[in-house]
Amino acid sequence: MWRPCATIDETYAQDIAIVRTRRNWIGLIVALAAIFLLPLSGSYYLISFINSLGITIIAILGLQIVSGYCGQISFGQAAFMAVGAYLSAILTLKTGLSFWFAMPLAGFLTAIFGLIGGAPSLRIKGFYLAVATIAIHFVTMWLILHLKITGATAGLHPQPPQIGSFTFDTDERMYYLIVPIMLLMTYAARNIVRTRVGRAFVAIRDNDLAAQVMGINLFYYKMLAFFISCFYAGVAGSLWAHWTQVVHPEQFTLLHALWYVGMLIVGGMGSIPGVFFGAIFIRVLDGLVLFSSPYLSGWFPWLGQAPAAALGVMAFGLVLVLFLVREPRGLAHRWEIIKASARLYPFAH
Amino acid sequence: MEKFLQLAITGMMVGGLYAMVAAAIVLVYKATHVVSLAHGQIMSFGALAFWLALVALKFPLILAVPMALGFSIILGWSIERLTMRPLIGQPLFTAFLTTFAIFMFMDGAFQLSLKGSALSYSSFFPGGMVSLAMIPLPLSQIVSFGVALMLFIALAFFFRFTKVGLGMRATAEDHQLAQSTGISVRSIFSSIWILSAFVATIAGIALANVMDIHYPLPYVGIKGLIVALVGGLESLTGALLAGLILGMLENVSSGYLDPLVGGGVKEVAAYVLLLFILLIKPYGILGLVRIERI
Repeated sequence: MWRPCATIDETYAQDIAIVRTRRNWIGLIVALAAIFLLPLSGSYYLISFINSLGITIIAILGLQIVSGYCGQISFGQAAFMAVGAYLSAILTLKTGLSFWFAMPLAGFLTAIFGLIGGAPSLRIKGFYLAVATIAIHFVTMWLILHLKITGATAGLHPQPPQIGSFTFDTDERMYYLIVPIMLLMTYAARNIVRTRVGRAFVAIRDNDLAAQVMGINLFYYKMLAFFISCFYAGVAGSLWAHWTQVVHPEQFTLLHALWYVGMLIVGGMGSIPGVFFGAIFIRVLDGLVLFSSPYLSGWFPWLGQAPAAALGVMAFGLVLVLFLVREPRGLAHRWEIIKASARLYPFAH
Repeated sequence: MEKFLQLAITGMMVGGLYAMVAAAIVLVYKATHVVSLAHGQIMSFGALAFWLALVALKFPLILAVPMALGFSIILGWSIERLTMRPLIGQPLFTAFLTTFAIFMFMDGAFQLSLKGSALSYSSFFPGGMVSLAMIPLPLSQIVSFGVALMLFIALAFFFRFTKVGLGMRATAEDHQLAQSTGISVRSIFSSIWILSAFVATIAGIALANVMDIHYPLPYVGIKGLIVALVGGLESLTGALLAGLILGMLENVSSGYLDPLVGGGVKEVAAYVLLLFILLIKPYGILGLVRIERI
């Protein structure tokens, strides 16, 4: 919303534009070009890292809408992602639907499933709801493990997406599918949260009773928040299924859901750029721990052979505690401060 | 009928242990209004400290128990001092998320210290079976259950008759009013965390007597949280009641339904119960109904 001095809107179109100034446009075009050209020079590791990061970001965007904007903390995002992944795999494998229909359909059906998940939010809120979503996670994963159609512990093996004879079977090819979808979903989220619906979400987050008194239909908007959030989760799950080409209950544990919420906290609740900050920060931190763990276990033999997973979780928990105690508004708040001071430069205030 | 009784009573024995974890969570909630996810970890670390003292360092039982309890006191105090105290005045939900962060941190530390192995100590409770109303039961379970019951009675006495307990009850009612009557709210917060870590450790020692100290142990703490929510977050009686109900339900449902659906009912029974209770009585069986104002 903030612009340099003497940038004045003359039309409504200018007033509601997301990309405002010439400098913004240049930055956007350079960034898009860089994203487009990255696979040409990047390593295999980088590309697969970005793919998994992109899928995570789609899932967390949904979580940001329901938790960061609507204030309903959900630890169920991993389970909803699992539902999306399984639905997409079943739709393509059992009914022979193409990926291009299965993905939106999986997102839509997951969103409908999410309405069941969101139902407790009508009676309870705060940590009661958070624990209820943990319960929903376990019940969902139990159902997935015990239904015939999901292949139980063996999992499912969906095919990679195809256009004609072109198959998205390598990481570079999937990159050109995942990243555009991620950008599209980000754009959609950015717009959802500044419409009437988004403002209603924020009102519910800040005080649901006051929101209700002002005439916001709590039932409708809470359900809508879960619907949108689970649509994101479903799409993310579908992409995950067709990228890794294996769907297994072990890929969607409670720990994953906890990581997602943690990424939101680090990035900043109630901010779309915060999703990117949080996901990238935590993933890079995790990568660093993974990278350094062989050295660490060399220097400190008492750590054991493969401390990477445990150390990663520890580092994550420590970072979370530090953020919650020192910077509860997350990296997005820092980013706003940096932007404000850059705008005012060379003045201090 | 005999099968039902057998399942129900064994379930209730384990339920008593869930109730102890729940009691630790209820204690913290009563004084500070923070719901803690971290107690599963405190409990596991208590059990680990006990194992370290008893098996690894070969201390006698009479020394190992105080050592584990001493460790839990340090743990509880440092959690309060390092993470909870800086958050006084922040929204309660931030504190809840902080306990979740502590859960993650300690989860990593727990995995690191186990290195994938499952530890167990040879049961120090007397072995053998006892027949209770024609139902054969392992004696160790009865003893653990007795410990749980005694702990509850002791807690009830503590809150009812001691000065510190009275101060804690006053703090639970209203922090500012308690402060103005001369109670140091800060020291109450510290001591409540220490007390709850103490209770959690006793629960951990008793629980590790029934199952191994291995990776999923902290997640029993989530069951403790469920018990606390089902029973009502303010109520110790509710915690005991809900613990017994949950233990019984888990065992009975898995005994009757497992053959029909192919196992695993035990893991979800608790969550289904929670969702059900939250929908019909959002504040638990014996919890206080909160009336909100704008």
